[in-house]
Amino acid sequence: MDLDKLRKTAAEVVAREDVRYLLGWKKGTFGYRIAPGFVEDAESAAELIFSPLCTANLATYLTLTEKPPLPRGQEPDDRKVAVMVKGCDSRAVTQLLIEKGIERESVVIIGCPCPGVVDHELLAEKYPETEETAELKWSDKGFLLLQNGEETEIARDELLAEKCRLCRYPNPVVSDIMVGEPVETWEPDDDQGVAEVEGKNAEVRWEYWQEQFSNCLRCYSCRNVCPLCYCEDCILDRLNPTWIYRSVNFSENTAFNLARAFHLAGRCIECGECERVCPANIPLGKLNRKLAREVREKYGFEPGVDPEAEPFQASYKPDDPEEFIL
Amino acid sequence: MSAMLLNKEKWSDFVGMLAGKNLWAPRESDEGLRFVPVAEGEVPTLDYNNTRVPPKEAVFPQTETLFKFKVGGKDLEEPRPDQDAVLLGVRPCDARAMHIIDELFSWDEDDPYYLKRREKTVLVGLACNEPGLNCFCTSVGGGPVSTEGLDLLMVDLGEKYLLEEVTEKGSALIDEVKELLEEADDNSSKQKDKLADEAAGKIKRSIETEGIPAGLPGLWEDELWQRVSASCIGCGTCTFLCPTCHCFDIQDETEGFEARRCRMWDSCMFREYTLHTSGHNPRPTRSERTRNRINHKYSYYVDKFEVIACVGCGRCINLCPVNIDILDILGQVKEEI
Amino acid sequence: MSANYEPNIVAFLCNWCSYAGADLAGTSRVQYPPNIQVIRVMCTGRVNPLYVMNALQQGADGVLVSGCHPGDCHYMEGNYYARRRLGMLKDLLEFVGVDPRRFHMSWVSASEGHKWKEVVEKTVEDAKEAGPFEGFRRRQIDW
Repeated sequence: MDLDKLRKTAAEVVAREDVRYLLGWKKGTFGYRIAPGFVEDAESAAELIFSPLCTANLATYLTLTEKPPLPRGQEPDDRKVAVMVKGCDSRAVTQLLIEKGIERESVVIIGCPCPGVVDHELLAEKYPETEETAELKWSDKGFLLLQNGEETEIARDELLAEKCRLCRYPNPVVSDIMVGEPVETWEPDDDQGVAEVEGKNAEVRWEYWQEQFSNCLRCYSCRNVCPLCYCEDCILDRLNPTWIYRSVNFSENTAFNLARAFHLAGRCIECGECERVCPANIPLGKLNRKLAREVREKYGFEPGVDPEAEPFQASYKPDDPEEFIL
Repeated sequence: MSAMLLNKEKWSDFVGMLAGKNLWAPRESDEGLRFVPVAEGEVPTLDYNNTRVPPKEAVFPQTETLFKFKVGGKDLEEPRPDQDAVLLGVRPCDARAMHIIDELFSWDEDDPYYLKRREKTVLVGLACNEPGLNCFCTSVGGGPVSTEGLDLLMVDLGEKYLLEEVTEKGSALIDEVKELLEEADDNSSKQKDKLADEAAGKIKRSIETEGIPAGLPGLWEDELWQRVSASCIGCGTCTFLCPTCHCFDIQDETEGFEARRCRMWDSCMFREYTLHTSGHNPRPTRSERTRNRINHKYSYYVDKFEVIACVGCGRCINLCPVNIDILDILGQVKEEI
Repeated sequence: MSANYEPNIVAFLCNWCSYAGADLAGTSRVQYPPNIQVIRVMCTGRVNPLYVMNALQQGADGVLVSGCHPGDCHYMEGNYYARRRLGMLKDLLEFVGVDPRRFHMSWVSASEGHKWKEVVEKTVEDAKEAGPFEGFRRRQIDW
């Protein structure tokens, strides 16, 4: 990835009069961290990076912007928002377009073909983080780690994130401007995580999820980080009726996690953010990927690919499978 | 108060002798997620940096029943009384955090639920020899061997643990296991001081807090808050995992005719935290909420209790999904003052 | 599980077909197991998957959702949406280890009193085989 080109493109976009700010990745405050950057002028575009550390899905911020009431006489700022997207992130943008969560005219999409990002936890485990900000680059063999003046070659398989092993869309499916050449797609792995759970019998599965959900802290980071969880009035926040009690115990946690997974059926674009941010390390990706696979195989629908498609849960086909119906 | 030595070979005996006491410790199999009751026959290893969920949940559980009642009835039923508990391997920062929130829970009105549990809990601390990447306890008044809030401090001296009594509760615990212990000599206390100095030297991150509490009110309308909170997604990770965060929400929950009033952790980073019934929200955006989080820790709490409500454990920095770094924010605050 | 265990089943029936079908079964004096607690909804499309989850949380051992046959929906397409959503919910529940026999969906029209009997018999039999559902219950949690 040619960073100069990326920054130049970003600077040009931000300089446009109809663009309010640009969402990109910048170096974090220490170690391998990456912080989402809100770039408002061409100068700050020089801080932007794109590396195997850039796991964050910035499409989240398209719907996260708050719109508090404006003082009388003040006009809302309706300028466009530019957003840098990887393959998976672009699917989130497309899915938002499908659901009419955003308008096509309101965004400038800068596509960044992505050869696959790393699993941060694995990286920090194998190559301990230090207080210095480190750099990671794509290389021929996989990744090149630049830390405290030392260079380390790391094989791609060693650190590649699970979602990237399963990725089928490394190149952005929608974009206004592409930075760099499209990458060669790879054969996705079989989803062993889901298959492993499916292989167990029902009781063992229930126990497995019981253990996982019991750890849930209900911090809602999975919901908030998800680019497709953007309801202004979330059912989990409602008090009347209280569908899911606020108390944290296995029953409510299960209801919460199932409701969250269910609301993403046919919408989840498998960017893996929920699983990455979970402080209790609950394998949320497995729930989402299981449903995504069912939707793909049974209903032939793939979210976030065709902006003209009808949303999965708000459409039907007369010949949808119904072998489960009595 | 006296100090004793415990040979590590006798560690399992030590745990065994305390087994009847509702012992809590981090469990290795959950990657040190939180303090959990030690199962019978289990010997916890204290080989961890720090738990993700602070041990505050042993005295201030995430969900707690205040009383039970029947729908339509008038009688209130008290919740089950709590057992005594011994927390094994509490880091000095987390114990100090409990010491700090004790002030709040015993302020104008006593909080009987918290205080009763606090009284029944013995905190056995474990000094830090290897501080974590984002620890900054020394900047906010703590340290790797700080004993504030602890009842007993253990220091890992390699082959032995040095046990230092801090409170009466701690001495009582020592008395029960006296047969396993030997008297400490001068050498071990020297060794402890040396380890403490080394540990303090390994803490890489710091902030000079002087001037921050006084300066924060002046930055109320500063555009800094907009800048530092732009990437915030509004989740509760930073507050739920903070050892000094103590906000709660109270709800009535019913199930058929059974009902209870309970309280559960709440987070000022949630939109509904300040949402009024009318629909008005005095903290409408994440920038006001972030401002409140910083101000509460570094300004309001200082005004009221003369102590910063942050112990520098680094959890909010480590686990923030979008790298919002409290030290970075404080650094920017200092620049603006 | 005791031999005379009787499961609790919550059934969400659409106003126009299945509710009328169950009514017909009653007026025709068709006998079927009494384990069903009926909740009438205007359309199966109205059945939020959270209803099903909430029923299980509040002590149901099984849940049945029944509506009009495809093409017969009073609102033209409500049951088509329900079929998609609840089909996904069934997959999800099964994936987390809830016995698939606990959740059923059926099409019963207003004239199918006998089919209603069969559906209820099947649902009750399945729920009996699956046994009491304690795993997910709010009340079992020690308050």
